[in-house]
Amino acid sequence: MTEGAPRWAKLELLIRADDESFEVREVPSSAAWLAMRPQRPEAGAWELAELSSRVDRQRRFVLKNTRTERFLMLSEPERFLWDRMDGQTSLQDLATAYVLQYGAFDFDLIPGLIGKLQRAELLTFQPSSALRRALARNRGWRAVHALERGLTTLEHVTVSSRRVQPLFERLYRAGGFLLFTRTALLACLSLGVVGAVAGVGLWRDLDDVARGLGARPLAAIVVVKLLFLATLALHQVVHGLACVHYGRRVREFGFTFLHGFLPTFYVDVTDIFMASRRARIVTALSGTLVHLVLGALWFVVAATAPPGFVQAFAAASGMIQWQAFVIALYPCCFIEMDGYHILVDVLGAPTLKHDAIAYVGSLLRGAPAAPWGRPARLWVAYVAISTVSVALFFAFNVWMITRAI
Amino acid sequence: MSRPIETAAFLKTVRLFQEFAEPELLAFASRLREESLRKGQVLFREGQAGQEMFVVRRGTVVISKAVTGRVEQVLGREEAGSFFGEMSLFDQEPRSATVQAETDVTLLALDRGNLNLLIEVDPRAAAAFFRALVQVFIARLRASGNLVAEATRWGLQATGLDMESR
Repeated sequence: MTEGAPRWAKLELLIRADDESFEVREVPSSAAWLAMRPQRPEAGAWELAELSSRVDRQRRFVLKNTRTERFLMLSEPERFLWDRMDGQTSLQDLATAYVLQYGAFDFDLIPGLIGKLQRAELLTFQPSSALRRALARNRGWRAVHALERGLTTLEHVTVSSRRVQPLFERLYRAGGFLLFTRTALLACLSLGVVGAVAGVGLWRDLDDVARGLGARPLAAIVVVKLLFLATLALHQVVHGLACVHYGRRVREFGFTFLHGFLPTFYVDVTDIFMASRRARIVTALSGTLVHLVLGALWFVVAATAPPGFVQAFAAASGMIQWQAFVIALYPCCFIEMDGYHILVDVLGAPTLKHDAIAYVGSLLRGAPAAPWGRPARLWVAYVAISTVSVALFFAFNVWMITRAI
Repeated sequence: MSRPIETAAFLKTVRLFQEFAEPELLAFASRLREESLRKGQVLFREGQAGQEMFVVRRGTVVISKAVTGRVEQVLGREEAGSFFGEMSLFDQEPRSATVQAETDVTLLALDRGNLNLLIEVDPRAAAAFFRALVQVFIARLRASGNLVAEATRWGLQATGLDMESR
């Protein structure tokens, strides 16, 4: 027997493609474990009661399996985790929520709780992706089957490295540290103001500017979008530099197709959860400022260029950068981007989106999952604001494209 | 296609044939069929009929067993100097696993007829061949046990099952 923590087991799997080629992948058990979504039984199969101790003033809970008549004692942090074991939240998300809630990570708590719940027959596990489950259910349809295969192929297109910390440290020492100074912040805000002034000037002549895209406006917009994709890499690099600035480790950097269809660069800065709240907020905010700066520069180029293709292209690029800035920073749009993470960190509500959607769903079914109070008001407000925001965003883009055409 | 003398020189480095005398090895080498696979090409699939075993002369093959859909578990790799496919040669049952080329590969195929001829012509070499074969079988059996244990450990860790305190 080996001493200490057991090493994670690995399986080597061969995955065959349609064209008879294949790929061999090593899958550690840790990857499967983190992606799993623990699911507590349906309401009615268990009961929860609170016990208050007059001795240590700690809140404790008794969880009862109504089928087997088995009882478990839960601490308050365990109750926090139990509430989130809904089959939708992965173990990785649970761990993140725990850190946000309690400001520290307990490496034994989650595996211990899961073992306890499994022994009491109060837990099952769900596969990781709801989208993939839905596709698998309907794979009898030829189009769905083709889509599933396409997504699987794209999901395999991942270029990443886990040995990026030295590179980020070199980048930081080579000048990256300058981004985290007061001067850089002032320069950034000043550029934002200059960009806004230039943008307002362009807005007045929007029709003339849009005509500069010429006979093929849609092709030009596609090029603008592709150029924008490249700047997403810069966004992630700045997140990584912020992580290094606060003395934490960048665990991974790469490119992948999110959910199999959304091309994106990503950086793993989860180590920042071990730092202060200020560090987490600065890290989240710093990447989005890339779009503010680039958008402002594009607007300045557009404002100074003569009417024509260059002006229109620069204006469109500026617009998409500032849209990205707003989307990344705007917390209420059902997407868990930088602004959302800042909001939930400030509110101390790490699973806001999930709780809000679940609560509003229960309201619509006529059986509210919780009594009306501050949390319920927050959930309803989040869903209402997000719904309106998404509708307005789509309306704005449709309006912009129809004007350009 | 390699000349028998080159094939014989290669076979002399393979554990199964180390006891062969030069003339027998040369005669044996001339009867082996050489087969080349491009990277990614499948040699045979699990369930297919087969009556040959193969010695890897160059490159690497991956041996895998179907798990679900297009996913297979890798059972092992065989590199230059090692062999595979002997189970169907001896028991004449369908192939128990799929073999595909991980790199460009050159193989030497040995069929039942050639094996019988070897036993008749050079019993001493044949005995050495089977002794080496048994030793490799034992090593593979041990590796197979380790693979089962690792797969079980994977399943326990991936599901978070705590068996010690159940």
